[in-house]
Amino acid sequence: MTSPRRSLLALGAALLLALPVAAQAQAPEDIVKAGKVVIAIDTTVPPYGSLDTSMQPTGMDVELAQLVGKSLGVPVEFVTVTSPGRIPALLTKRVDLVISIFSITAERALQVDFSNPYGGQSTVLLAPKGRKIAGPKDLVGLKVGATRGAIEDIVLTEIVKNNPGITYLRFDDGPSCAQAMLSGQIDAMGGGDYGEIYLRKSASGDEFEQKFVLRPNYFGIGMRKGNPSLLHWVNTLLFTLKNDGTLDRLSMKYRNKPIGDLPPF
Amino acid sequence: MEYQFDFGPVLARWPELVQGTLLTIWLTLAATAIGLPIAAVLAATRTYGPKPLRWLVGAYVELIRNTPFLIQLYFVFFAMPGLGIRLTANQAAILAMVVNLVAYAVEIVRAGLEAIPRGQIEAGRALGMRPIRILRHIVLGQALRIVYPSLASQFVLQLLGSSLVSAIAAEELTAVANNIMIVTFRNFEVFGVVTGIYLVLSLAFRGLLGGVHQRAFRWEG
Repeated sequence: MTSPRRSLLALGAALLLALPVAAQAQAPEDIVKAGKVVIAIDTTVPPYGSLDTSMQPTGMDVELAQLVGKSLGVPVEFVTVTSPGRIPALLTKRVDLVISIFSITAERALQVDFSNPYGGQSTVLLAPKGRKIAGPKDLVGLKVGATRGAIEDIVLTEIVKNNPGITYLRFDDGPSCAQAMLSGQIDAMGGGDYGEIYLRKSASGDEFEQKFVLRPNYFGIGMRKGNPSLLHWVNTLLFTLKNDGTLDRLSMKYRNKPIGDLPPF
Repeated sequence: MEYQFDFGPVLARWPELVQGTLLTIWLTLAATAIGLPIAAVLAATRTYGPKPLRWLVGAYVELIRNTPFLIQLYFVFFAMPGLGIRLTANQAAILAMVVNLVAYAVEIVRAGLEAIPRGQIEAGRALGMRPIRILRHIVLGQALRIVYPSLASQFVLQLLGSSLVSAIAAEELTAVANNIMIVTFRNFEVFGVVTGIYLVLSLAFRGLLGGVHQRAFRWEG
């Protein structure tokens, strides 16, 4: 018979045992011991992450996250984040990993560690077909939008600084930015080519096209710094998924194009 | 605790913080300046006007007070262009804030109007005053005095509520905070500083409006 008091004591002891672990570096076996892996995803960026008709997360990033859980042998707990929320989610220890079209940049790598790339996609400028835009200079006098904190925001901020006369609007998430584009509140927007797919699927979306490449990107799996063992394990997993054709299969399934070149670093 | 506090990178962006703060104040003042006179007229309409007009104002009040401000904001910015009405982010923010503020202020002012004893209005009528003069000289001043504290509270709520308009790319204080956060990743420091700014703003306006109350309504009580 277990009395409530005895369960409380057991709980206290378990907490005491768990405490030193939390302060140390996180290794894959710590996640296995914890019994679950907490992964940040963004469900507003199809085809990488979205909600299906039964409100379950789906997409290329989501399926990769499930593969991570499967390889660790633990269930995955999803935490949804927006672009600006990815690094804070890691730093505040709300999640173990970020798999959320997280482009590898040197600035971000000052805050978090990136795995080798598991996918890639260029950030591009999107605008109506009728508008002639060949480069940043053609944006002068136009209203240009982007998602706050996304890679296109970083590139466009620089372009706006160097080309006076661009009205620049930052939105809190991708859908708002796409809405602004569709309702004519902005003349052009930064986005991935997923942005184009996004617009194409909407009511008046046929009229938009990709104008020029803002920056080629590679997506990595993000984690807190100071966890070399976890970083190495994630890279090892990606190496195997790349070599057995899994990444290519995911890319074909969700993006209808091959995975392409994934240069490790 | 492992986290190292560093306010330096946040405070270094003070010009943006000042700009954001000024826009927050400007949006709130503009919305209030436009909204209050409208609210006064609509409140009088809802209290004394003909039945269909009363019903119309009531419907407007219920519609706005029972839907989220964020949706009203999206409606103005994303849906109205469909009707050919295209506003800039700041204009859309002010319009949405006016529409929202008026609905709440109508109810506040109406409470003041209804608190005026009927005897006073009848006395005015007995003296041969026209309804507009009764409203101006007898009712409105007293009503405003009664509801002034509630209106002042509503003003401060409006100031704090304006933080939502960053959703349509108006670069007020909250938007600036997010901009700084994504560059510095100093979340605690950014939101610490911005919380402080909002707190100071609210307390300053409460104090200011309280002072105005004492001066403007000294004539009685």
